Amino acid sequence: MASVVKWHVPPASGVSGLGRRLSSDFSSVGREAQLNFLSCRGCNHLLPRVSAAAKGNVRQKQNRSSNSSEPKIKSPVIVAPGPISAPSLTELSSEDEVQSAVDSSVSAQNLESRRLSSSQSSSSGGGPSWNLTPRSVGRRVLRELSSLQLAIGELFAIAGLSALGTIIEQNEAPQFYFESYPEDKPLFGFLTWRTILDFDLNHIYSSWYYLGLLLLLAASLMACTSTRQLPLVKVARRWSFMKSTSSYKKLQISDTLEKAKLSDLATLLMAEGFEVFARGPALYAFRGLAGRYAPIGVHLALLLIMAGATLSAIGGYHGTVMVPQGLSFQIGDVLQPNGILATPSPVMNLQIHIDKFYIDYRPTGEVSQFHSDLSVATRKEQVYKKSIAVNDPLRYDGLTMYQTDWAISAVQVRIDGSDPVNLVMAALEKGDKKLYGTFLPLGEEGLAKAKGISILARDLQSVVFYDQEGKFVGVRRPGSGRPIEVDGTSIVVDDVIGSSGLELKMDPGVPVVYAGFGILMLTTCISYLSHSQIWALQEGTNLVVGGKSNRAKVEFEIELNKILDLVPELTNFENENVLVSASNSGVTIARSPSATNNFTEKAEKQPVD
Amino acid sequence: MPFITLERILAHTSFFLLFFVTFIYWGKFLYINIKPITILGEISMKIACFFITTFLLIRWSSSGHFPLSNLYESSMFLSWSFTLIHLILENKSKNTWLGIITAPSAMLTHGFATLSLPKEMQESVFLVPALQSHWLMMHVTMMMLSYSTLLCGSLLAITILIITLTKQKNLPILTSYFNFPFNSFIFKNLLQPMENEILSYKTQKVFSFINFRKWQLIKELDNWSYRVISLGFPLLTIGILSGAVWANEAWGSYWNWDPKETWALITWLIFAIYLHTRMIKGWQGKKPAIIASLGFFIVWICYLGVNLLGKGLHSYGWLI
Repeated sequence: MASVVKWHVPPASGVSGLGRRLSSDFSSVGREAQLNFLSCRGCNHLLPRVSAAAKGNVRQKQNRSSNSSEPKIKSPVIVAPGPISAPSLTELSSEDEVQSAVDSSVSAQNLESRRLSSSQSSSSGGGPSWNLTPRSVGRRVLRELSSLQLAIGELFAIAGLSALGTIIEQNEAPQFYFESYPEDKPLFGFLTWRTILDFDLNHIYSSWYYLGLLLLLAASLMACTSTRQLPLVKVARRWSFMKSTSSYKKLQISDTLEKAKLSDLATLLMAEGFEVFARGPALYAFRGLAGRYAPIGVHLALLLIMAGATLSAIGGYHGTVMVPQGLSFQIGDVLQPNGILATPSPVMNLQIHIDKFYIDYRPTGEVSQFHSDLSVATRKEQVYKKSIAVNDPLRYDGLTMYQTDWAISAVQVRIDGSDPVNLVMAALEKGDKKLYGTFLPLGEEGLAKAKGISILARDLQSVVFYDQEGKFVGVRRPGSGRPIEVDGTSIVVDDVIGSSGLELKMDPGVPVVYAGFGILMLTTCISYLSHSQIWALQEGTNLVVGGKSNRAKVEFEIELNKILDLVPELTNFENENVLVSASNSGVTIARSPSATNNFTEKAEKQPVD
Repeated sequence: MPFITLERILAHTSFFLLFFVTFIYWGKFLYINIKPITILGEISMKIACFFITTFLLIRWSSSGHFPLSNLYESSMFLSWSFTLIHLILENKSKNTWLGIITAPSAMLTHGFATLSLPKEMQESVFLVPALQSHWLMMHVTMMMLSYSTLLCGSLLAITILIITLTKQKNLPILTSYFNFPFNSFIFKNLLQPMENEILSYKTQKVFSFINFRKWQLIKELDNWSYRVISLGFPLLTIGILSGAVWANEAWGSYWNWDPKETWALITWLIFAIYLHTRMIKGWQGKKPAIIASLGFFIVWICYLGVNLLGKGLHSYGWLI
């Protein structure tokens, strides 16, 4: 197997000895060509060839094609040798290999497998049998993991199981499944509570097979990044020149311009935002290299999110608490560890005091927002204070506290002008439809015979009274001061005291997951960019051009077609000598600005036909 | 309220405009294809887009919150994004047939909102506490834009499937309409033996003009569905991730395995598969189109189907 690439210079050091950026050398030509270019752009023709031909000094082309397999009739080439002084240039076969590797990672895999097989054959003495050294087994596993078929299978399996998890109710009590999926009436003919419980279908997202699939996906992502994406980037970074015309035919687009000059093409490409490199008679240009890197970022971000989620699952604390207004609790009493990696924190010794819980109502009576005024305190002093609401949690030293629920804890009343008394209220209905009630006994009889007033409330806005017969008496607003007469007792409602339902969380995974989110958003957007590459080779007066792109292929074809139509046609063949001598020098094809000006003047004076 | 009257007028006018545009694009496709009608269609689409934009802006200013809080508003927004995608793509690609797909999509989502939803559901409602956040704008806008983009892309893919499955005799009508800008690269390709997997030719030697047009059409559709889907995918990613960040603010966890979240993940996975088959495997034509058309149904399940379950954290404003 021939060596892959003989020489390469990173794009960053463009103006080094071997390759040079065509920025200064063609500036004068650039102006000219750019003018043509702009005027053509202005026409906005769908058929650039027509408009270009009408310009006169712009060349008219035949045989514009992509993937053309038929041999082209070339005008006689006087001298078109490769640069003699150049270091031994890439051989055709290896160059092809590099290009095909850039083309798609399928071929990168071929390359990989070829390398694998060669290493295997060398280690096992040429025998076809598998050599089961840990190293070769590891490589084989890596290769299997990085296969796209496997990855797609994993993605489909995850998607399918996730969908199943939305159909079967998750994380319910076993009793629920006994009732919903009876054995005598299986759903779809097979789904009974026994199947569900046996296959962990009641908690799919935390079942061993789901987590195993995610783990496998993570392994595939890593294998793919290391065996496919990174080698591809290495290949993409080598801005290799193509020196043989036959390799151009294998590109997505290839074309031969007659009587055209490399420098004109270079200028046009630069105007279109390409990074252009030239060496001797060859040119290489690329654009959107970031689009080549970004998919690596996508995979890394996914791995980061998975790692963060794992950290959340095993390394955090969580807990919920319902605390009446005016009371406090210790953070450590509420928090439960999520998993084995949960480590205690000094925050757990702090106290939270619910200064106030209140609900904002709209004029129409709907709930607008829930608020809790919280203060965080040590045993000695208050350290932090915040009013939280839904969508506005409290964050303190790794602890996050959310407003998630509420309840009514007591109703404060004055009975027959007494001091205020708190009557504790009990939840009569749970869930979204809240109903709380309490009972005020009348008389001195024993509890068994007790009769009294029932007091009910659905929210903090109003309290409903029923007499001892169970008949509706009236409604009072808390704090209105208006007494209500029930069975001879006068009651004034001072306040309805709420409880704040809080969710507490200490999640060390969140920063990791958020970092993954950030990278994922950025890199999926950058992945939209096309990595476009263009090669060109001056062969006498002919200019062989080829190009390819990895995303917007059709747009790239149209764009390149437009660019090539704008390359001016050489009319004076005296310049051939210059071209040949330039290509022989092996360093650059640039000529002095004056010569270039002469050329363009001539080209203007002698328009085509 | 003058606002409500104006809203109603805008909603109904834009619906009739979209109906008209659909009529024009399909009429143009099936019967007459002359320039004035094309221009009329383009202008009507622009006016319709402008009207829906105004409608949404008025609703925003009168309700005081971003108009994406219930099913009615989100369908109107979906309809608006279809018109927007239409205008952007038509401007960018210069193709004249895209309206065949985008115009009925915009009309149907608009019609679903204005005609089939009961009046009470069309009224602007106050935001529940969980929705009162600046993330509403970012998350829901991105999700709706990605839904419309992905739907548009997968509809193009479904069109590929329909065309490849259509019998030969129906093709002249189909293909004579699609007058693509003549592309010399494409033209050159047809002289080669067709080794393309897009179409399997029974007779490779005899080249039929219709086959070429069909091939050309499929190539065009294939390219656009790929480009549109690969635009929708980043939007979906941003939408899901901003939703996760919001969930971490409002519900206490960035991922809750809520049905809507799960189906958004499934959508993401399916289109990730689609993009990988195209980018890495280099599939073209029918095979990725099958995956994309699967994605079409999944987007609908994610947008509407999940709400039918009537459970989960995303249960804002459903029919029941």
